[in-house]
Parts: sequence; C-alpha cells; structure tokens
Amino acid sequence: MSMSQEEIEALMNGIDLGGDDDTQESTPVVEEDSQGTLSADDIESLINQTKNEEVVEATNSNSEVSDDDIEAMLASIGGITDNTPPKVEEKPKAAESKPKKEIIVDNDEEIEKLASSWASKKVEEGIFPYPVTKDHKPINQLSEVANDSEEKASKIFDVLSFILDENNVIQQESKKIDEFLNKQIALMQALSAKFPNIGVFQANHQSAVALKDSIKVIKSKVDAENMQLFEAMELMQFHDINRQKIERVMAVIRKLSGYLNNLFEDDGSHKEVAVAKHIHGDANSDLVGGDDLEALIAEFNK
Amino acid sequence: MKILIVDDSSTMRRIIGNVVMQLGFSKSDFDEAEDGLKAWKLLSEGQYDLVLTDWNMPNMNGLELVQKIRAEGSHTKVPIIMITTEGGKAEVVTALKAGVNNYIVKPFSAEVLKEKLDGVMKK
Repeated sequence: MSMSQEEIEALMNGIDLGGDDDTQESTPVVEEDSQGTLSADDIESLINQTKNEEVVEATNSNSEVSDDDIEAMLASIGGITDNTPPKVEEKPKAAESKPKKEIIVDNDEEIEKLASSWASKKVEEGIFPYPVTKDHKPINQLSEVANDSEEKASKIFDVLSFILDENNVIQQESKKIDEFLNKQIALMQALSAKFPNIGVFQANHQSAVALKDSIKVIKSKVDAENMQLFEAMELMQFHDINRQKIERVMAVIRKLSGYLNNLFEDDGSHKEVAVAKHIHGDANSDLVGGDDLEALIAEFNK
Repeated sequence: MKILIVDDSSTMRRIIGNVVMQLGFSKSDFDEAEDGLKAWKLLSEGQYDLVLTDWNMPNMNGLELVQKIRAEGSHTKVPIIMITTEGGKAEVVTALKAGVNNYIVKPFSAEVLKEKLDGVMKK
C-alpha cells in the first residue's frame, strides 16, 4: 500500500479522509506520535485505521486507557491473575454508576445530606466514633443533666410548695367555717330545746352537725395530703444525692482524661511521619509477594 | 432567732427551710448561701444563732467553713449542724473534730432534723 504525500499531509493535519468523526479524534494521537519519527509502515497502519472504524476504536481505547495495558500485564503475571478478572468486570460497573452519582449530587445541600447520612451510618455501625461535639462530650452532657434536673427539681418544689400553701389556706378557711358551725350548732340546739315543736330548729341543728363532720373530713384529707407533700419534699433529697453521684462520675472521667492525656502526650518536637499503607502480614489481597514484585519490575522494564 | 442554711443545691436549701418553718420559724428567720464563701460573707455582715451546712460545695466547702467559723470572726461559739451525703465514719469524725455540734446524713427525715435542731438549740 502506498500513500501520496498529500494524503499523508492531510492525515497529519487532521483532515477526515473517511468522513468519520472518530478519525478526527484519533488524529491528535497521531500528531503526538508522529513528530518527525513516523516510519512508512507506521503511516500505513495509521491510514488503515482511519479507513476501518473498528481499528480506530481499538486505537482509541489503547491511547485512552493505558491502564488497561498495565492490568493486562498484571493479569498475565502469576498469583495476581485470580484477582484481576473481577476487577475488570467491576470497573465498567463502577464507571456506569459513577456518572449517575455525579448527576444526583450536583448541589451542595444534596452533597451535605448524602455525606451526613453516610457518616451517620458509619457511626451506627461503630466504624466511626461519635463526632466531638458539645452533645457527645460526656462531661458536658452530665453537667447539663445535673443542672437541668436541679432546675426542674426546683420547679417541682415550687408546685409542691404551692399545693402546701393552698392547703394551708383551705385549713384556715375551714377553721372559720368550723367556728361558725359551732355557734350555729349551739344556737340551733338552744332554739330546738326552747321550741321543741318547731321542726326547723331541730333540722337546722342536725344539718349543722352534719356539716361539721364534713369539715372534719376535709381537714383530715388536707392533713393527709400535707403529709404526702412533706414526704415528696423529703424524697426530693435524692435529687441532690443523685446529682452528687453524677458529679462523682464526672470527676472520674476528668481524672481519666487527664491521665490519658499525660500518657499519650508528645513533646511536639517530632515531625509527622508518613505511615505505610500496606505492610507485610496485613490481611490484604493487594499485597505483592517477592516473585510478583520481580515479575512486575521485569514487565515494566521491557 | 436567725438561722443560716448553706447548701449548693437550691432544692436542699428549700427542703431544710421547709423543715425549719415546720418548727414554727418564718421565712424571715433564715438566710441561705450556696457555698462557704457566701456563707462567710453573710456571717461577717450579720449575727446568726444556728448554722446548717452541707459539706461538698464549690469555692469553699463545708468543712473549711466550719474551721473558719471556729477559728475567727464573731461566730466561734455558734451551733453548727452538718447535713451531708458523706456518710463515712472517718468523715463524721473529721467534721466533729473540726467543730460541728451535730451531723446528719442525707437523706434525712424531717423528724431527724427537728430532733437535732431541738437538741442543739436547747444547749
């Protein structure tokens, strides 16, 4: 096969001989390779590629994914071949799914939501620790619990005190009613004794006695309620006792924190050291054995 | 008669105050302080006939307050009752050595406090 100089120049200038877009894409590759070093055979083969779409695709894939070559080489090396096929199969899947994700998370809010849910999941699985926020600091939380319960206990005490005060008012008013009823009973008793034929005096006397009994019941109920209130107030001492227990736990955590800080503290003079990712003995299928390593080096040095 | 109630828990101060009122005292008969330092300030400014103090408090604890009261100022002879959660024998001995007249371990009943108050006031 032979080419005229025009055809060659046209090819090198990126003119489409076959009328296909793919050929235009492939031409820059040719330009890079052909900077004054193309042999006649190379040119011929390139012309064939421009005529044949399949060949062009093949050249494209060669030039685009040079990693494939490396993978193919790795695949040919013993010991690593077992791992490579699934990788090759997985790659296109990952490549398919990646663009989808990129399309979904095209705004900051979406990205933040996704990142947040992912991080929360990892925290739930126990892979990540809880973030160092105010809500996750034990001493801070315990302190909040102690202070909040103190505040609430004070409010409960307000309620109990209010009931107690109201009961005192009821008792004082009951006393007044009781005094009045005593006078009423005495009056009705005298009237009914003086006028035994008038039934109203007798009936009123009986009603007053019945009311006095009712007042007695109210008094005893209020007394019983007050006793319960006093008991509740006494029980509220446990709030203070429990608060002190919480403070004891806080003190233990503080001491422990101080101890751990002392134990792990560094004088700060050392520079941060780069850490190895894969070390012999790691449970990792990506580790390379001695033979694999030599084979890899030999393959790359060809 | 004037009583000083010292406790860092407002609930405890109210509980003690409530018992004191049950004994026939009114609200104007007692003052409250939330730590030893504030109690000492009140003691320096006024005259009190009885001190009811907690042990574990911020700034100045009850034991330090007792030692200070017994060592200096105008209340060296004032009756002091310590009301605390510290229930160990060693702590009770320490408090008594520091100069408290009586000792109550929380939780306590109103009856116990009444008895101890009566006992201290009679002396």
